[in-house]
Amino acid sequence: MAAKQRSISVSEFFAKNRHLLGFDNPRKALLTTVKEAVDNSLDACEEAGIGPEIWVTITQTEPDRYKVSIQDNGPGILKKQIPLIFGKLLYGSKFHRLRMSRGQQGIGISAAGMYGMLTTGKPVKIVSKLSIRKPAHYYELQIDTKTNNPQILNNRGDGLDIPAGEKGRVIMEKKKIEWESHYPVPEFPELAEGQEPPDPVEVRSGTRVTLEIEAKYQRGRGSVDEYLEMTAIANPHVTLHYLDPEGTLHTYSRSTDQLPPEAKEIKPHPYGVELGRLVTMLKEMKEGTITQFLTSSFSRVSPAVARRICEAADVSTRSGVKKISRDDADKIYKAIQKTKIKAPSTDCIAPIGEELLLKGLHQVVPGEFYVAATRPPSVYRGNPFQIECALAYGGQNAAQKVSKELLDRLIDETDARTLRQFLMNTFDGLGADSAEKIMKAGEFGSRQSPSKLKQEEIDRLHDCMKNVNVSDGQSMQILRYANRVPLQFKMRDCAITQTVMKMNWRSYGLSQSRGNLPSGPVRVMVHLASVWVPFTSESKEAIAHYDEIQKEIRLGLQTVGRKLGMFLRRRQQVKKEGERRNVFVRYLGEVAQAVSDLNGVERDDIYNHLTRVAKRVTKEADTKLDDRGNKVTEGNYGDNVLIIPDNPEDGLTEQVNNTTPQKKLF
Amino acid sequence: MAKKKAKRPTPAQQARKAKLTAKDKKTLKSLIGLADGVVRQASRGRAPYIEVPSRSLSNVKYSPTKKIIEMGSSKNKRELFNLSQARTYMQTLLVGRGCKELIEQGKTTSIRGLYYLLKHTIEGTKEETFNDQGDCDPVIEDVEVTLNALREELHVYASNRGAMVGNIQLIDSGDEIDCSRMGSGGYAIPSIVEEEVMQFVNCDADFILHVEKDTVWRRFNEDKFWKEHNCILTHGNGQPPRGVRRLLSRMHNELGLPIFCLLDNDPWGYYIYSVIKQGSINLAYESRRMAIPGAKFIGLRSRDYELCELNPSVTIKLSDNDIKRANQIAKYPWFEKKKRWQKEIQKMLSNGFKLEVEALISKDISYVTQEYVPERLAEANFLD
Repeated sequence: MAAKQRSISVSEFFAKNRHLLGFDNPRKALLTTVKEAVDNSLDACEEAGIGPEIWVTITQTEPDRYKVSIQDNGPGILKKQIPLIFGKLLYGSKFHRLRMSRGQQGIGISAAGMYGMLTTGKPVKIVSKLSIRKPAHYYELQIDTKTNNPQILNNRGDGLDIPAGEKGRVIMEKKKIEWESHYPVPEFPELAEGQEPPDPVEVRSGTRVTLEIEAKYQRGRGSVDEYLEMTAIANPHVTLHYLDPEGTLHTYSRSTDQLPPEAKEIKPHPYGVELGRLVTMLKEMKEGTITQFLTSSFSRVSPAVARRICEAADVSTRSGVKKISRDDADKIYKAIQKTKIKAPSTDCIAPIGEELLLKGLHQVVPGEFYVAATRPPSVYRGNPFQIECALAYGGQNAAQKVSKELLDRLIDETDARTLRQFLMNTFDGLGADSAEKIMKAGEFGSRQSPSKLKQEEIDRLHDCMKNVNVSDGQSMQILRYANRVPLQFKMRDCAITQTVMKMNWRSYGLSQSRGNLPSGPVRVMVHLASVWVPFTSESKEAIAHYDEIQKEIRLGLQTVGRKLGMFLRRRQQVKKEGERRNVFVRYLGEVAQAVSDLNGVERDDIYNHLTRVAKRVTKEADTKLDDRGNKVTEGNYGDNVLIIPDNPEDGLTEQVNNTTPQKKLF
Repeated sequence: MAKKKAKRPTPAQQARKAKLTAKDKKTLKSLIGLADGVVRQASRGRAPYIEVPSRSLSNVKYSPTKKIIEMGSSKNKRELFNLSQARTYMQTLLVGRGCKELIEQGKTTSIRGLYYLLKHTIEGTKEETFNDQGDCDPVIEDVEVTLNALREELHVYASNRGAMVGNIQLIDSGDEIDCSRMGSGGYAIPSIVEEEVMQFVNCDADFILHVEKDTVWRRFNEDKFWKEHNCILTHGNGQPPRGVRRLLSRMHNELGLPIFCLLDNDPWGYYIYSVIKQGSINLAYESRRMAIPGAKFIGLRSRDYELCELNPSVTIKLSDNDIKRANQIAKYPWFEKKKRWQKEIQKMLSNGFKLEVEALISKDISYVTQEYVPERLAEANFLD
C-alpha cells in the first residue's frame, strides 16, 4: 500500500476532475474555452490601456469537434512567457495580488488547452505580436500532465518567429496560420459616390489562441452567443466580432471609447485573513518586528493599531517575527478579530458606472425603459466590493423575434425531448406557462418531440410564437456579472438570484408570486465588482451568500425598482388619460348630433365647441398629481434613466437627466 | 340588426308634422331648452352638465299633511366630462331627441319602441348607444323629472298591464267603452289615461276593489262579484303600472269612489298598498297625480290564518329577504306612526310565514268572493 502512495500533479488532478473547471460536457466546454480566452484578452487589453477589439471564430471540423480561435488587439505576450501562460496550470499574474480583474487563478486557458489535448489530441496554437514592426511569435503547445510543464511542438521546440510585413503574411498563408491583420472597415452606407472607403487599419499587436476541442454548439441559455451578448452589455468599451459555426458574423460595437479606470492593487485587510494565511505570511517575512510585519503586510494597520493588536494578543510589540510561535500567531489572529480596524479603502474597485451600464444595456437589449444604479463600495470579510444594478423594461421576447429560418435550425439542433422543453430551454424568459400557451394555441400535443415536427408544423409553431402574448407569463431575466464577467450557470445557487427572488417586486408594479422571480418583460443586471469575488466553486458560476453582499444587492435593486415603479405608474396614468379622452371624444359626436336635432344649431359648430372643452378638461387632468403629491411630469425619475419613445423607428432616444460626467462616488 | 343607424327625420317626414297641442308645445320648449343649455355652456368653454333631480330614497319626503310621498329638491349634476357620467349624459340627450321626434310627428311609442328608435352603434366604435332596455328606462325617467314633464307628455307609454270590469262607461280615444260588458277578459287599462284620451261618461258603481293579481281578479269576475256588490274591479298585475294607478286616482278623485285593496299577506303586498296609497319612491314626482291617500287595505291580514282557520300547508315560510324587507317597510315614515300597521307587520313576522290570497281557495273555491270580502266590507274592517 505504502509503495503505491505518490504525489499527484495539479494537471493530473484537473485532467480527471475537469468538471471543477467547467468542462463537464461538450456544450459547456465550448463556452468555458471561449470565456477563459476572452476574459484573458479583456484583462490584457485593459491593463495595457488599449480599447479591446476581439475576434471570436468557431468552426466545425468534425461532427463533435470545433476549432475555436480568439484574437485580441492587446499588448501581446513576451516570447518566453507564452509557453508558461498557455501550457502550465496555475501560472499567472493574478493569483497573488488583490486587485479587481476577471481572471483569478490562472487555470482557465491552460485548462482549455489541456482539455483540447485530451479530447482531440490537437495542440494549442498561439500567435502573439508585440508591436507593428516586431516579428510575431508562433507556438504549438501541449501540457505534460505529469509534470505540469509546457511542451513546444513546432520548429523543434523553439517556436516560430514570423517577420512583420508582407513577408510574414506569405509565411502565415503558407503555414495556414490564422491572424486578423487588419481591423474590419465599418460599413458606411451613406458613403458618397466615387468616394473611396477608408483603408483598413492594421492591427498593431495582439494575441491569437486557437484550440481544437470536442464540443457541441447550441444556442439558447448557457451558450457562447449568450455569453458574448452579456459580455457586450457589461463591457461597453469592447468591440466583439463573432463568427458562429454557421458562418454568421455578429458584431457588437463599442458604445464608448472610455476605458474603465485602472483598478489599484491593495494589500489584504486584516479581517479577511485566515489563521493559516497569517502563519504563511509570518514565515515569508524574513526580518523585523511584529509591528513592522503588521503595518507593512496589511492595509489600514497603523503603528497604533498594531500596538493595540499586540496588547490584546499579549505579545510584545517589539518581538521579532521569527520568534512568533504558532500559539502567538493564534493569539494575534484572535486579537485582530477583536480590534477595531478601519474598513479597507475602496478606491481599488472600478465599477462600470451608471452611464455606461445604460449604454451597454441599451446597445444589446431591446426595451422601452432603462435604469441603472451604482452602490457605494462596501466590504465583506475585509474585501472591498461594489454592487451595480441595471434594469431594462419592455421589448419583445426572444421567442417573438425569432425568424423562421432560425427556428428551423434551432429545432434541428436541439436535444430536448419534448416541444415544451425545447421552448423553455431555448428562449430566455419563456416560462412553463408561456410555453404551454404557445403549444395550446398551435394545438400541439403535450409530448410532441421537436425533432419529429413536419415543416408545416414548424410554420404553425412559428406563427404561434409570434402571436401568442407571452409577456404575462414571462419571468424576469437576471443577468449576473462578477468583475464584468457574465455568470451563466447555477442560477438558483447564486446570491444574486436569491436576493432578487426574496425582494417584493409587487410594490414596483410587477406581478410576482411568493418566492419566485417576478414576471414581466424585465431584465435585471447585477454586477459585483470586487478584488476577490467569493464564488461558490472553482468553476466560477455562482456568488456565495455573504450577508453584506446580499444587503448591497438588495439596496441596488430597490433603487432601480423604485424608478421602474415610477415609470410603470406614469405609463398607467398616461394610458388612463388617453382612455379618458377617448371616452369623451367617442360621445361628442352623438351629443352634438342630438343637440343639433333638438334646437337646430349647426352640428359641426357645437361639435367644435365641445372638442375644445374636452381638450381643456383632459389637459387639466394631464397635470394631475401622482400618488406622492408631486406634479406628474417628465423628468422626475432622477439620474441615469433612459426612456425610449414608443416608436423605435424614429431612432430618437431621449436621455433624461443623464449626468454626463460620472459622479464621484468615493 | 342592432347596428342600424338611428332613424333621422327626412324632410318628407318633417313635412308631415302633426298638429301640436298646447301641452306638446310646452314639452317641446323644455326639450329645446335642454339643448340650448348645452350650446350655451359649450360656447363659453365650460364643461356642459344637466341637473337631474335625484330619484333616490334620500331625496323623497313623506308629507304627513298630504299623506303622500313627495320629491325633495336635491339635484344631481350629470356632466359630459366625467368618466362615469359621460355615457348617461349622451343617452339623456338622445332620449330628448327621440321624444322631440315623437312629439313632432304626433305619435306615441312604448319605452321599448323608444329604445329601438335610439339604439345604434356609435360612429367609429363598436359601442352601442344603449346596450339593453334596462340601460334606457332610467334615462327616460331622468328626462321626465328633468323637464318636469310626464311620460305621456313625452309621447312614451309603458306596456299595458292590468284590467278593469264594472259598472262604468267611458270614452277611450273616442271609442265608448262599457266596462260592464267586457266578458271574461275585462277592459285592458291603457298606460295613458289622461283627460285628453279618456273621459268618464257614466258610473253607477259604489266603490272600487283592487286586487293584486290576474288570477284573483278572474275569480271575482267569474263570480260576478262586481254585479252583486255594484263595484269596479281592477287588478295591476303585481305592482300596478302608472296607467292603473292614474286611473284609480282619477276615479277616486273625480267620481268619489272609495278604494279597497285585496293583496297578499307578505312584504310585497304591503309595499303595493303603500305605492297605491302614498306613491312610489322612484316616481315620487308623480305622487300628486297618482297617490290615493284614501285607499284602504282589506287583506289578507296576518290574523286571517287563525280567523279563517286555514290549513298550515297553505302557508309559505318567510325568507331572510322577506324579513329584511318587512322590517324596512315597518320603518317607512308613513307606516311608522300607525300602531295597527306595526302590529300587523309584527304579527306576520311572529307567524314566520306569508299567505297568498289564493290560499283562501283551500276553504272553498268562492270563499273569497262570497264570504271573506263581503264580511269585511260589511264590518268596515280594514287597515288604513
